[in-house]
Amino acid sequence: MKVLTPQGEKIDLLTVNIGPSHPATHGALRAFVALDGETIASAVSEIGYLHRGFEKMVEQGTWQQVLPYTDRLNYCSAILNNVGFCHTIERMFEIDVPDRTRELRVLLSELSRIIDHSVCVAAAASDLGALTNYFYLFNPREKVYAIWEKLSGARLTNTFTRIGGLYRDTYDGFESDVAAVLVDVETGLADAFRLLEHNRIFIERTRGCCPISPEDAIAWGWTGPCLRATGVERDLRKDEPYMGYETYDFQTVVGTTGDTFDRLMVRMYEIQESISICRQVLSRLRPGPINTTDPRLILPGHGKTYHDMEALINHFKVVFEGVRVPAGEFYGSIEAANGELGFFVVSDGSGKPWKIKVRPPCFTQFAAFANLVEGSMVADAIACLSSINIIAGELDR
Amino acid sequence: MSQTANTDLGRELAPATAQERKAFQDHAFQVLSSRFQGTLDAADRWGLTVVLPSERLREAVVFLRDSDDFRLDLLLDITAVDYLGYPGHDEARFAVVYNLRSQRAAGRRLRLKVRVEEETPKVPSIHDLYRIANWQERETWDQYGIVFEGHPDLRRLLNHIEFQGHPLRKDYPARKRQWLSSNDPLVAPMVARLKSNGFTVLENPTPNAPSVEETGLLGKVSREQRNNVENPS
Repeated sequence: MKVLTPQGEKIDLLTVNIGPSHPATHGALRAFVALDGETIASAVSEIGYLHRGFEKMVEQGTWQQVLPYTDRLNYCSAILNNVGFCHTIERMFEIDVPDRTRELRVLLSELSRIIDHSVCVAAAASDLGALTNYFYLFNPREKVYAIWEKLSGARLTNTFTRIGGLYRDTYDGFESDVAAVLVDVETGLADAFRLLEHNRIFIERTRGCCPISPEDAIAWGWTGPCLRATGVERDLRKDEPYMGYETYDFQTVVGTTGDTFDRLMVRMYEIQESISICRQVLSRLRPGPINTTDPRLILPGHGKTYHDMEALINHFKVVFEGVRVPAGEFYGSIEAANGELGFFVVSDGSGKPWKIKVRPPCFTQFAAFANLVEGSMVADAIACLSSINIIAGELDR
Repeated sequence: MSQTANTDLGRELAPATAQERKAFQDHAFQVLSSRFQGTLDAADRWGLTVVLPSERLREAVVFLRDSDDFRLDLLLDITAVDYLGYPGHDEARFAVVYNLRSQRAAGRRLRLKVRVEEETPKVPSIHDLYRIANWQERETWDQYGIVFEGHPDLRRLLNHIEFQGHPLRKDYPARKRQWLSSNDPLVAPMVARLKSNGFTVLENPTPNAPSVEETGLLGKVSREQRNNVENPS
């Protein structure tokens, strides 16, 4: 198409679709770009290819039935979404979960963060042609999935937490499995670091590629590792500690320039911090109850249900009518792998949600994508897209 | 780092105590009620939600974003609530909710709410105050049919361009199905984008996605098949 440039020169732009089905979109995203040679003159993006109507469907069932839907938001770290949702609802009930549950949730959240960051870094590196990292980072990830499978029976969509507790306690040998997987992650990460950190090709592809200033990043609503890459030291685990994060010793990782290199490096160093948190949890994990005793939330045990009329009624009402979340409006959030994962919840006091709106962290990142890539090369846009870690499940809901 | 070293963004925040949160909320409500006719929303029993008249929304948002006592520089989300059939609800059918947070100090969070009547579902757009508001307002329009006046490009965001209705309204049936076939060529947004980037468009781009006629999809699907999709037995 013929256009006049801002300088008044008449040029011919080529319009190209990147996606929705493109190896580098890792899901279904579409960017429609106008190219001047290999440089992106203008870009517009389209989302919604994975829109399933999460927010409509969760209004159809009970509060407990929301949980399997949350798995499918950020499916690279399903347990983090489970934790975020349950934590929000528990705050509406103003109840505390037992210590063991809180610690296990921290452990599982950090393991989820590790595999989520591994996916992002490994996929970004392989998009740039550095496939070896993929194996170094994905082999330990596979072992984490083996733990998930032993814990919950599912690899990807675990639905492991419950409102007021967990699906069940850990299995025998869980601690040693986690300790072993942490060593594997450490080794794989060290290998990936050696391949990437001082690799001239990687640095030249990612340094200075699609940077963003801290002020712009905040105006675009960015949170999480992408915001920290710009040098803004904000992490909900530190700023508004929840689930006892204030008792763990870890650092907030920040970058300096907010470019693709920083975004990936922040994630790699955050894996190290998460490993450290996991080890701290392992050292303090003690046997104990995993569910709250609040009868509004938790099913009575089988022994009681079979022999006690009130317990049977309680069981029936919790299952069929759902837990009765106190009426009102609440917003709760946690630091998920991509940033602030929030749930805005409206309850009318019944067993079904009136409304649940997810605040997906990568929505804000992808909204800025067209702005980020304008003026850079197509190949840089691919590198940039991998580094902002767009997960279509939570983007489109 | 030089860019952030001078500001407070490059420094870790000390978590806010419960007293500090309470003091912030009290101060925020006091200011919003005296200067912008805000009223307390009793539905939020855990934090602070202030209901504002829609004509004061933009002023209040600018104030909250820029004044030193608040610096609510992060717009977390915009969404709406449909109260059709909500027990005991006697206000307007819809409310638009703005979720704000500060990155400059810990514990500064609040929500603003604008009540919207069913007959005139309109609120002023704040797309120029926060860049992310553009997409958030598009999503809210798509899902609830609330018009953001002054929005430059109020298109559907999550749903398909041919989609009819606004699915998160309580009177939209959850199991309703619609036949959606064509691609969005994105030509108009691209032209607008080029213009805003300083280009003069001499001829419109050709759509790169195949049309329905080209894919032959229309010819292959009978009216009966299409009917089966929209009205499953």
